[in-house]
Amino acid sequence: MEVIRHDIAFAGIRLQTPLSVQALTLVVIIAVWELVGRTDILFPDLFPSITAILESLWTYLTTPIIVPHLKASLYEVGGALALATVGGVPLGIIVGSRRSWYQVAEPLILYAAVVPKIVIFPIFILFLGIDVHSKLAVGAIAAFFPIVLLTITGMREVKRVYVDVARTVGASTYQIATHIYLPAIAGQIFTGIRIGMGAAVTGALLAETKIARAGLGFMIVEYYSQFRIADMYSLLLFIFLLAALANIAMKYLFSLFSPVSRTNRDAGMYF
Amino acid sequence: MSESTRLTAWRLGLIFGALVIVESAVRLGWISSFFLAAPTRAAIVLWTELLHGNALWLTGITLFEIAACLIISTVFGVLAGFLLWRYQLIGTSYETLLAALFSSPVILAYPIFLVTFGRTSAAVIALSSIFGLIPIIINTKGAFQNVNPILLQVGASMNLTRKQMFRHILIPAVAPAIFSGFRLALTYILKSVLGLEYVAQVGGVGMWLSDAAFKFEVEEVYAGLFGTIMLSVLFLYLINRAESRVRK
Repeated sequence: MEVIRHDIAFAGIRLQTPLSVQALTLVVIIAVWELVGRTDILFPDLFPSITAILESLWTYLTTPIIVPHLKASLYEVGGALALATVGGVPLGIIVGSRRSWYQVAEPLILYAAVVPKIVIFPIFILFLGIDVHSKLAVGAIAAFFPIVLLTITGMREVKRVYVDVARTVGASTYQIATHIYLPAIAGQIFTGIRIGMGAAVTGALLAETKIARAGLGFMIVEYYSQFRIADMYSLLLFIFLLAALANIAMKYLFSLFSPVSRTNRDAGMYF
Repeated sequence: MSESTRLTAWRLGLIFGALVIVESAVRLGWISSFFLAAPTRAAIVLWTELLHGNALWLTGITLFEIAACLIISTVFGVLAGFLLWRYQLIGTSYETLLAALFSSPVILAYPIFLVTFGRTSAAVIALSSIFGLIPIIINTKGAFQNVNPILLQVGASMNLTRKQMFRHILIPAVAPAIFSGFRLALTYILKSVLGLEYVAQVGGVGMWLSDAAFKFEVEEVYAGLFGTIMLSVLFLYLINRAESRVRK
């Protein structure tokens, strides 16, 4: 009896980790959802059973039903991120390179960043029509702000002494740019692109839910209007998983290119 | 001329210059007025709508939604943040989950809220409150966690009761950090409310913009956009002012 009590106490202690609590929470949510879904005791239309949602998700993964929509959304998000990077990084470098430019432009960019980007969508529809390009534009403008702001932050964090030392040893402007500035701001730019990707996904897909002919956002609204709630949930799950995977992949990819932080290293290692 | 006046003059000059370029481009016919409204025309439409139309009423609805979200987020957010700090294991576990939820495109789930609450302001308030709730929870938890232990030791050495310690030490120590969360929450709520109003075509200013776009009323679209931008900028300005006062 004493041994069993000891084992239970030991298991209890082992369960007291954040991971166990997270797993337990997930299990409880799934169990309660399934119970509600199967018994129809609460909002029967709103809580389809987990098995119905997973069946629908399986259909997306094993049939080509989603492919044209996925292609449209990927094109929009990819194009948006590329455009935002091409526009945001150089602008961030320019604004961050001089104190006076930074002081004038940074508050303007910050104020513009607060405006919800989706409200600019009607303007893009006027200029670009209702096909993929207007959504690409919304995604690009949404991704632009984190990229430009983090590039500016990166530029402002470059210590003046590094540039002075490089000049003292006769480094050219090109060498200062590639050996001092680029490694110093790379981390911030990568973070900006990663955050920008999330913004681009939200911007482009939200625009798709408004007016579109294809795309994952378009599918969500289609399912909503047809009241196919299980399909809508599974599609949302699919989008969340895809966004999380893309985020993790980007984090890993950028960690390969990011310069190693030397702030905690002893100076002795260089001698 | 002081440094800040000079900077403000430069900023206003940049904005004014951009508006002059757009105005000239439309008036000289470089860009068709079908695509782009002259800023003066948009401003006149906005002014007329404010005086004689229902723009003020719609702004009131949007402000009501923002205020409701803020109250819900603050009450539940501060309470949840405090509890997550008090119960460390739960706090550590759920902080990661909340951060993950916050970085996922939750706003795309708005049809679920439309199904639940109908096409009403309640749907906008319910979903937008989530965007306000998470930063307040995380900041409140962080604020309590980072209270300088010396302050607590001083309180203990003065034989303060638990209530006095909470009232005179903890609350003043955590207020600035909680306010940062509040500021972040307000920014996200503002974006979410206006965005959802536009996408779901419910509520106030966002719905006006959506209606105008639907009718291809170009000047009204730009007027609505101008109004939305002004509202966002005004909010951010007021939050910044309030935050600097709290930090003092």
